[in-house]
Amino acid sequence: MGVPFDYAPDRPEHIDAILNGLDRYNPETTSIFQEYVVQQCEEKTYDAYANLALLKLYQFNPHLTKDETITNILVKSLTVFPSPDFSLCLHLLPPHILTPASTQSALPAAGDAPLSEAVQKLNVLNNLLGQASYSQFWATLDSDDLYADLVADVAGFEELIRIRIALTISQSVREIERSVLESWLGLQSEGFDKFVNGVCGWEIEGTVVKVPLNKENEAKGTIVRENVKVDQFARVIRRAYEQPA
Amino acid sequence: MSAFQNGGAPSRAMDEDSDIEEEALAADYREQVQYEGMEELEQVSSMSMAQQTDDIQSRLAAAAQPLDFSAPLEVKFASYDNYCSLFHFILNSDGPVDLEPPSYYWAWDVIDEFIYQFNSFCSYRNRVARQGNNEEEITILREAPNTWGCYSVLNVLYSLIQRSQINEQLAAMKRNEEPMAVAGDYGSKSLYRMLGYFSIIGLLRVHCLLGDFSLALKTLDDIELNKKAMFARVMAAHFTTYYYVGFSYMMMRRYADAIRMFSHILIYVSRTKNFQKNAQYDSISKKNDQMYALIAICVAFHPTRLDDTIHTALREKYGDQLLKLQRGGPESLPIFEELFRSSCPKFISPTPPDFDNPELNVDPLEHHLAIFMDEVKTNMWSPTVKSYLRLYTTMDLKKLAGFLEVEPEKLRGWLLVNKQRSRQIRWTDNGLLDGEIVNSNDLDYAMQGVRIAPSSDITC
Repeated sequence: MGVPFDYAPDRPEHIDAILNGLDRYNPETTSIFQEYVVQQCEEKTYDAYANLALLKLYQFNPHLTKDETITNILVKSLTVFPSPDFSLCLHLLPPHILTPASTQSALPAAGDAPLSEAVQKLNVLNNLLGQASYSQFWATLDSDDLYADLVADVAGFEELIRIRIALTISQSVREIERSVLESWLGLQSEGFDKFVNGVCGWEIEGTVVKVPLNKENEAKGTIVRENVKVDQFARVIRRAYEQPA
Repeated sequence: MSAFQNGGAPSRAMDEDSDIEEEALAADYREQVQYEGMEELEQVSSMSMAQQTDDIQSRLAAAAQPLDFSAPLEVKFASYDNYCSLFHFILNSDGPVDLEPPSYYWAWDVIDEFIYQFNSFCSYRNRVARQGNNEEEITILREAPNTWGCYSVLNVLYSLIQRSQINEQLAAMKRNEEPMAVAGDYGSKSLYRMLGYFSIIGLLRVHCLLGDFSLALKTLDDIELNKKAMFARVMAAHFTTYYYVGFSYMMMRRYADAIRMFSHILIYVSRTKNFQKNAQYDSISKKNDQMYALIAICVAFHPTRLDDTIHTALREKYGDQLLKLQRGGPESLPIFEELFRSSCPKFISPTPPDFDNPELNVDPLEHHLAIFMDEVKTNMWSPTVKSYLRLYTTMDLKKLAGFLEVEPEKLRGWLLVNKQRSRQIRWTDNGLLDGEIVNSNDLDYAMQGVRIAPSSDITC
């Protein structure tokens, strides 16, 4: 069974009440949502729908914007890639946020240049994850101290990302060279063994790692079948009568 | 009865007179009122309303009249004031107003026009700020930050929804219960019920214009999308609903659901084409083409079999583009961009622009387009990968990388991406945001070391 986009298993009741009422537009709820973001960062929970509501409050009341909360929300949404959450958050940010720094630094009063820079940096990470360029993702994350600052508030960021990467791998891979997997997971030697054996439950055999068969990586032939009901032909049949020969 | 006659409303250019007449009223009214964001509806003195009730029918009719796009700023301001006073009268009189809507499509026309004017006002204001050369208008706009403000527009829509208890009524209908039992004093009157109902569709649209695609879909929780729905009685409402739902799905990367929405309404339109020779035909036919363009985009992301009617029309209208989109690669990017630009809603930014820094007022379209294009770029190699894999039952990864002239590492990435993106959430039941993960790929594979093992596919 799927889970509706607006559902979050760990959402507290008072947040649910705000989201379902008009208080979701009330600027006074901003601080409640902000605390909830902090809580999600600390407790490794995640609530996209509530975070989008906060970004909407910022969209309507720019003076309430807290840069740190915005970047924390974006970093949290990276941890659920390849879902569209990161993009959905971006859509609610000010339209100039993705304008390249070169044009923006030329402006005298680009007030939130730091936010804009941070968002663009995170967007780079999002695209690398989206493109499954995992080794480049880890290299980029290490390449700039700003990244360390940005992900600092999100407890277990690297672990959460690693689990998502492992998940996407398990969907497409039955067997992979150890060296490739090491670069994808950004782990070596003992740490690698521990994660692959312990967390993923995969087998390391010399220079290859074997991923047990699952529904996604067995690559069974699919049969495209169409269930056609008679009433779907009603139109054709009616036409046949309506149109004079 | 068919709903196509409501194109009887005069086209946009013809009705400036009625607006000018109302300007005097509005100016008089503006003096009495202090605007402060959300409170403004409450602050209107209801005395002035009482004096105006005698011509209420003409005001009801006027509210549904299209405003000329090139109307001067004063007219746009006056029109906003007119809406405020009309909605105030409807919402805040002592008890429900005893009025019959002039026609069954009137409520739709009012909400539609109200949002259209909000939309075009915001776009206009942003453009004035961006161009930064019309000092006079900048001054006027700067001094009236709350005119056509997003909070007031949302306030109107939500108030109409709440007053009419329309969500409760729709929920009751879903449970096969009598809606009148929960309708209350207001909701049992057709004026309120219709305004409330179309306000839900209006919210869908406003959220989408603001880039909040998940909330847009959430808004329709209580509305069942089928031919028996109330919106289906009004062609323009029917059409608009499916366009915005489809678009929101597309932006949430639920391409199968988007295609389903667009196809549904386009088939409907194609069947009723012969009835539409009226003033509305132009706007419908424009939106029609936009939706074909959006289907082309969605099909490129998510290859699937289309209804024959749709497929034929799509090839007629966008044959060349579709071919390029489906081929993928960097050559497809300008086509994606062109089609997105021509068929997306006219996005707006909800807050007044920064008049002091014209360059900061980026057109929201560019923002949403940039985000969308990142997703296009992520996916653009999927067609290439598929076209090769289709030919083999097993394939050496390094050999394929050689064919494609890319690093094996890049190719591994493409293979992972294609596999991920073929897993999509698809609606089955309940709210529009609900759904199940479905593997939509007609070509499945897995990587085994340096070998790719595709499983052969498509049988019918």
